[in-house]
Amino acid sequence: MKTSPIMSSHHFSRRTFLRGVGVTMALPWLESRTVWGDAPVQTVQPNNQAPVRFGALFSGNGFRSGEWWAKGAGQEMELGKVLAPVTDLREKLTVFNGLFNAEALKGNIHSSQTGNLLSGAPLASGGEIRSGTSVDQVIAQRYGRSTKVPSLVLGCERSNAGIHKNYSMLYSSHISWSSPTTPTPLELYPALAFDRLFKDGATRSDQSVLDAVLAEATQFRRNISSMDQHKLDEYLNSVREVEQRIERAGDNGELQGWRPTLDGPNMPRPADGIPQDLSEHMRLMCDIVVLAFQTDTTRVCTLKLNNDHSYLRFPELDANEGHHQLSHNNDDAYLRVNQFFLEQYAYIARKLDEIQEGERTALDNSMIMYCSSMMSGGHDAGQLPVVVVGGAGGQLPGGRVLDYAGQPNRKMASLFLSILDKYGIRLDEFGDSAERLDEV
Amino acid sequence: MTAPRQIIVSLCTALHLLLVYSVVAGAQPQTFDSLGARYDQETRPLLSRFCLECHSTDAKEGDLDLERFATLADVRQDTKPWQKAFEMLTLGEMPPEESDQPSADERDQLLGWVRQYLDAEALAQAGDPGPVVLRRLNNAEYTYTVRDLTGVELDPAREFPTEGAGGEGFTNVGNALAMSPSLLVKYLDAGKKIAAHAVLLPDGFRFSTSTMPGDWADEILGDIRALYATYSDTVALGLGSELGNVNVHGDTPLGLAGRLPLEKYLAAAATIAQQDEIQIGTVETIALKHELSASYLHSLWETLTAGEPSFLLDGFRERWRDATPDEAAALAAEVAGWQKTLFTFGPTGLIGRKGGRSRWMEAVSPLVTQVELRYAVLPAAEGQEGADTILDIVITDAGDGNEHDFVLLHQPRLVAADMPDILLSDLLQGGADTNAPADPAEPTEEPPTATEPVEAAWHCVPPVVLDASMFGKHPDGHEIDAHSLCVHAPAVIQIRLPAASTAGREFVSTASLDPDTGAEGSVQVLPVVHGVHPPPVIRSGLFTPEMSVIYSVVSSIFSDHQTVRFRGAILTGKGLAGENSAARRRINEAMDEYRQLFPPALCYTQIVPVDEVVTVLFHFREDDHLSRLMLEDAQRSRLDRLWTELQYVSESPLKQLDTLELQLEVVLGNPQYDSIVAMREPLYARGDEFRQELTDSEPHHLEALVEFATRVYRGRMTELMAEQLRGLYHQFRDHELPHDEAFRLTLARVFVASPFLYRLEDVPAETEPGPVSGAELANRLSYFLWSSLPDAELSAAAEEGRVTAGDTELLAQTQRMLHDPRVRRLATEFACQYLHIYDFDPLAEKSETHFPEFADLRGDMYEESILFFTDLFQNDGSLLGLLNADHTFVNDRLADFYGIQGIEGDVWHRLDGIQQHGRGGILALATTLAQQSGATRTSPILRGNWVSEVLLGERLPRPPKDVPQLADTVPEGLTERQLIELHSGQPACAKCHERIDPIGFALEEFDAIGRRRETSASGLPIDSHTRMPDGTEIEGLSGLRDYLLQTRRDQFLRQFCRKLLGYALAREVQLSDKPLLDDIMEKLRANDYRVSVAVEQIVTSDQFRKARGKE
Repeated sequence: MKTSPIMSSHHFSRRTFLRGVGVTMALPWLESRTVWGDAPVQTVQPNNQAPVRFGALFSGNGFRSGEWWAKGAGQEMELGKVLAPVTDLREKLTVFNGLFNAEALKGNIHSSQTGNLLSGAPLASGGEIRSGTSVDQVIAQRYGRSTKVPSLVLGCERSNAGIHKNYSMLYSSHISWSSPTTPTPLELYPALAFDRLFKDGATRSDQSVLDAVLAEATQFRRNISSMDQHKLDEYLNSVREVEQRIERAGDNGELQGWRPTLDGPNMPRPADGIPQDLSEHMRLMCDIVVLAFQTDTTRVCTLKLNNDHSYLRFPELDANEGHHQLSHNNDDAYLRVNQFFLEQYAYIARKLDEIQEGERTALDNSMIMYCSSMMSGGHDAGQLPVVVVGGAGGQLPGGRVLDYAGQPNRKMASLFLSILDKYGIRLDEFGDSAERLDEV
Repeated sequence: MTAPRQIIVSLCTALHLLLVYSVVAGAQPQTFDSLGARYDQETRPLLSRFCLECHSTDAKEGDLDLERFATLADVRQDTKPWQKAFEMLTLGEMPPEESDQPSADERDQLLGWVRQYLDAEALAQAGDPGPVVLRRLNNAEYTYTVRDLTGVELDPAREFPTEGAGGEGFTNVGNALAMSPSLLVKYLDAGKKIAAHAVLLPDGFRFSTSTMPGDWADEILGDIRALYATYSDTVALGLGSELGNVNVHGDTPLGLAGRLPLEKYLAAAATIAQQDEIQIGTVETIALKHELSASYLHSLWETLTAGEPSFLLDGFRERWRDATPDEAAALAAEVAGWQKTLFTFGPTGLIGRKGGRSRWMEAVSPLVTQVELRYAVLPAAEGQEGADTILDIVITDAGDGNEHDFVLLHQPRLVAADMPDILLSDLLQGGADTNAPADPAEPTEEPPTATEPVEAAWHCVPPVVLDASMFGKHPDGHEIDAHSLCVHAPAVIQIRLPAASTAGREFVSTASLDPDTGAEGSVQVLPVVHGVHPPPVIRSGLFTPEMSVIYSVVSSIFSDHQTVRFRGAILTGKGLAGENSAARRRINEAMDEYRQLFPPALCYTQIVPVDEVVTVLFHFREDDHLSRLMLEDAQRSRLDRLWTELQYVSESPLKQLDTLELQLEVVLGNPQYDSIVAMREPLYARGDEFRQELTDSEPHHLEALVEFATRVYRGRMTELMAEQLRGLYHQFRDHELPHDEAFRLTLARVFVASPFLYRLEDVPAETEPGPVSGAELANRLSYFLWSSLPDAELSAAAEEGRVTAGDTELLAQTQRMLHDPRVRRLATEFACQYLHIYDFDPLAEKSETHFPEFADLRGDMYEESILFFTDLFQNDGSLLGLLNADHTFVNDRLADFYGIQGIEGDVWHRLDGIQQHGRGGILALATTLAQQSGATRTSPILRGNWVSEVLLGERLPRPPKDVPQLADTVPEGLTERQLIELHSGQPACAKCHERIDPIGFALEEFDAIGRRRETSASGLPIDSHTRMPDGTEIEGLSGLRDYLLQTRRDQFLRQFCRKLLGYALAREVQLSDKPLLDDIMEKLRANDYRVSVAVEQIVTSDQFRKARGKE
């Protein structure tokens, strides 16, 4: 561990007391890498090759019914109207038909269809909050330690408060979960997301502050209930994680062989606040995802374009109703909004594809997924709209439509097991699945 | 069609047996023995027949295994599945349609047992504090807490991620409040931002809305000026005004403010004078009534009614004694005349320089020992014959009698350049060229003060026409210089100066008191030329001298000394010891007394000198008159404190040194250098002293920080933690961070600390639930009612153990807090979340095309809802008023929107009789109506569902998969209602929609932004007649309101209480809370449904006062 001489004594004491109270054992994983124990997981890529990045984009409420489909392969692939914006990328595209998330069918509608989309875990109802660690955070916790920021969790719509049909609407607003009880807080502000990637504001003094609050919280940990200890551990871990980031600052660039094509941002810091114009907001977030990957500041991003049960409106697309109402209307206006979302997806993919990393493009070295909580506005989650673009560093041939409809292994969690393999994370089970998708 | 519907209706009524309302109140609770026996004999066999095929340990459909419950003991291990089973049974969802169905009796038997078991279990577990997960402050609580701690409206959580809800649907539930590294960084940044608002003061610190030291100084300046303005007249007089002897450079827009508002006091004092009996109390009362300083009014009263005789005051006292309040202006004007004589004003920018003045307003004395009398006779215009000049030398006794008043006029003469002087004694003897003997002139004017009832000495004396015989002798007969005059005051010597011999010459003489006979005299001497000089205004034998002040300008940057001239000064004799005659001392004392009581200005309100182009001084304080005359002790020390703070915050003693050096550089080698360099020594000395003060204050800051942190930590501070805080500060200092930075970082650290961010509560030592500590209970109470930390009063009650000692103090604090304005936060955080209108303000969910007015109205709509609930809590309203209130709150815009006339302005009014406008209660709030609508049209489904789920707590079955779609816009020829009816008519949908749509139809009288309407969006008439699920026919808002009040009252109230309880406990309401809810309902019925009754029941419950024991 690299430490400045001034701080080393604190590290010693901090570690000692953390051990003393057994924090190490109780730590739930956050949006972070392993703190002690596990060695860093290396991607299956050799050292001189670019790392594989993972991205997931989400929009709620499904799509115009009957317009999400794909058939054929490679250049011959035909796409439904919703997917039309990614037509030019079809040779790098993998379309998954017929996948579903069994746990999402067990609750009610909307909120209980979203919170476990990337985990396949059962959702707690009745005001309790419990899902499962989502696939992006599993990657971040095991693989994100190589980068300055383990993962970015972005959104373009504020979270919903309240309870809907006995499920917290937190579930409608969070696809990324750092632990089964920790929905990862979303960054809505482009400027703050940008700062997270590139600002090195933290100082030695910050570290002293963090040392102090960590020591203090540990004193309290003794006298509170075990349930509260678990919650306080979220805090202890977060403090610890931020401290480690400060320590790690400057450690970047120690990779052997491969170097990112860009050292720093090639765009100005976005203006403070949330852009008034929704398309500008989304575009900035897309740019930040691309920039994060290109500079290798992080390798894991999720971008929630809107919530399930969303109230966003798109008057510039000549759609007057809110997104949720639009999804029930299922008309041309809704299709325009669907396509607008897929255009964001295509935008990220194209930009990555323009970045040459050796023989491959950045897109070839990525897996960018797009999915929704239901197929159409009618709450049908019997099969989900799922598509991945990018080659996972040569591990995922594109131009394919994989059809799992009617097959026993048609679980989203199986896809996630396969995806995790691409990052060298070989799990026996994930969510409700213990099988991989053979074709992936 | 009717059969299944009846089942649904009756079943959904049954659902609410459990928590929503209790129909078995009073029924004998079942013993577990009898329940156990019945479980074995009746229930278990029924389960086997109808349930276990799917819900076996193997199949476990829907994650439900009922097979494992072999006996009641097993059932009691895990109650949750039975609550779920009860729900599914009552909803009619189980057993599923395709399975074997129990008979009605069997169903009743099964359901009956489950209900009785759950009731028994609820009683057995009653008061269980439940699982309450450690709560992080949510964004709102964090913000309110920071604001209450700092006293400043900061918004540090503005860019924090929004939070989700848990428990009963509120954002204050621990498990919905996650922490993450990125959020932690936000807290750290926010802590630093808050710390940047700290203003360090000599003995501690406070917070400011600003982070700029310049603004902090301005805030203190503002406070000082506000204090000044309380007692002084701050409307600045322009230059050249009444008191405009302030001479400043250029066009500096500096007027004379801070004046003594004498007229008000004289008017009030006249009021006192007219009262029969005068007591101290009366002065105080009058002062209070007129918002005057009692202290000054008292001094004024004392001086005017008593005190030593004074040549300046005696006449004034007489006039005041007879005056009525409306004559106060004239009295004040009289004083103003003397104020102009007794004071001068000068530029403050020069103060401190060598030879410069020391005050802005200085005393000036009109006392002299000799007076130059001069008058230049103008030559006649060409071709015209000049007129003779008539000069009166007016000599008065200065109002104090004429003993010793022998005035010597030294050799009056006419002088001209390059010509020999003409002595008046010669001229009058005919020695000169004149052949026209001086005729006695008739007095041409009446004395100017004829209307004044004065004892003016001089104009009682007829003018004496000067003749040659008057020269050379003293009135007592002895000889004096032959060319001089000696006159006994009062006298007027009239001199006719013939045009022929005097044109172009100047009349010159010197007046002084005769050294032998006039050493103790006092007179005024004033030459008055007929037709040229205005005659002096006489009061009490004195006239007010006229003063003029002339500044000589040395350079364009620095002005220099002033010259003061008087016309009609008071002449005193030289006395025995030089100029210090007894008369002079006496007059000086009288003038001092006058100055002390009547300073024209009380304070220098400008404070920052701007009357010079460049000044050394940053701030100039001159408020001794204000302090002495107007302020009470407490105000005086506050003023002193503010001044100390101003100096401290602006660091002016150090900054002045920089300015001084800069100026010295500029004037190096110039004459000004010497006068400025004189400031150096005192300013440097002050600078050193100030540096020491800065250093001395550092420990105070650290201690104040520890004390502040004690509040921030809300009862969790220990001596060890305090020591750790100090340690961190010293660690920063050891690493050479300056004090300010080390202080702010340590302060920031407090806002990242777990005892601030989390509501830590110790777990009871036993496994049984135990009472929480006083501090913990105080926190629970204040976060429930105020979404913030306890205030000083509640903290003290907790510390002294009163809050945890029985109900009395807890209830008293609760009542106090409910009446406090901070209960607005309960209205916002609880009530608005309960109604699903939280954060309505930025709602951008309406189509601008359809409702362009909405964007400007939504803030007002939200405010109405918040005010409605604030009023409910603050004034202990009836919960029935939620439905049938006949009042609401409006400003002009909202009144206009509601079609109500006569409300003007932005101010919010409570408006009664609102039902006649088709409003009243939560069903008719613009917020709820707009929230439960689409962006372009109303949605009876959303509104109906809202009433059903949110207001009544009903749980609807899950909608079918693939619900059919609705058209975006209503097709031609259909109302929104008809569109919905088309949709809901489909069999798959009817089951639920029959329950919710009719409720929504009743509210079709309101459009999608909550405006009353007669026709639908497509122009068709609105039909708000509808049939409730139980068959009741109703009409519109009033029908729905009456239906809910009469038929569904208990269900509605119980749901409100359930939500309030869930909010208070920050968890889901559970089975064991049922007895408490029963109790609340009973108390509400007995107490006119007053909301405080529900609050009181909650805060005194075991759930609220205890925590679960350790596992």
